[in-house]
Amino acid sequence: MRFRHLALLGILFILLSSLSGTTDKASAQSTPVDIAQNKIVQAFQIVQQADLDGASAAAVSQLASSLNLALSFEQSAIELLPTNKTGSGIYASLSLNLSTTTSVEALSVASAARTQTLLSRLGVYSLALATGLGSTLLVIELHRVKSFVRKIRLRRLRLE
Amino acid sequence: MRRRILTFVVLLASFSLIYSSVAYYALSKAPAQPFIAWGVFSSSETLSNYFSGVGMNVTAHKVLTWHFEVTNQMGSIQYVGIVYRLGNSTSKTPNATAPASDTPQIGNASRFIPSGQTASINFTWSINSENQAGGLVVLGMTVNGQQVSPPVGAAKGLKFRFFFELWTYDLAANSFLYGYEGPGSRIGNWLQIWFNAA
Repeated sequence: MRFRHLALLGILFILLSSLSGTTDKASAQSTPVDIAQNKIVQAFQIVQQADLDGASAAAVSQLASSLNLALSFEQSAIELLPTNKTGSGIYASLSLNLSTTTSVEALSVASAARTQTLLSRLGVYSLALATGLGSTLLVIELHRVKSFVRKIRLRRLRLE
Repeated sequence: MRRRILTFVVLLASFSLIYSSVAYYALSKAPAQPFIAWGVFSSSETLSNYFSGVGMNVTAHKVLTWHFEVTNQMGSIQYVGIVYRLGNSTSKTPNATAPASDTPQIGNASRFIPSGQTASINFTWSINSENQAGGLVVLGMTVNGQQVSPPVGAAKGLKFRFFFELWTYDLAANSFLYGYEGPGSRIGNWLQIWFNAA
């Protein structure tokens, strides 16, 4: 039984080692353009999440503009790749930097949006509870309100 | 006294429930069917007259400037791609579920479009050369500044057609997928414009 466990652990270890080796090899073979492309997709994922979390249309629009600029840098990097590797690398680097900045901005926007959504929900539900309390008090103390109104009317009549 | 407290609690619970329901309704997003609308516009900003009033004929070296207008109503920002293909009268068309993968791709463009906004994507093309190959006319073209020679021919240069396919980036699949995510399934979307190489 113990041997079986050890054998399973051994197989798992070999699998994990081979997998990490493949990943290392893949990342080692990635070109700057590939890395820039992946970074754009990562940034898009964060921006979309910020959008779904309730970020304002203006903030999302600004983030989209940055992403489109990063995309145009990446396109330039792809176009230059066969003829000018240095130029291509520069554009890929510009794209990568812009995507990274956009991701950071999007994370901050998402966090602010989540807080804003939470606060506005809290505000609306608090108002609902307060209105509930007010309505309850009004119903329970209705007889006092009625008598108060009656008293005022009587006072007016006496004065007349 | 106990009865009074009980009445207060029951009333408070009831009113709170009613007002909270109203608050929930007010905070909920109105149901809406997500979609992406798009069209290809001619240089005169119309959905017609693509060849400036000379029928469907396109002469060599005439530069045609069209553009796509893509409106995102998906409820969140989308990474949209447009794939350009050149086909002829016998090419298999794309449909609601599959792109025209057998028809050669001659280019593509992509753009991030925030929800509720429309993006304009340029499509500039011209015919550089018309070559005879096996009784068919094969075109050498420039599409958005890139020279392409798609392996598609048409008898006498008649009835070529562009297929324009709408793709969107799917984060789960980590790649562009044909169409956009509709309610329940993906919805394929494509356009085509016929022309003759005259």
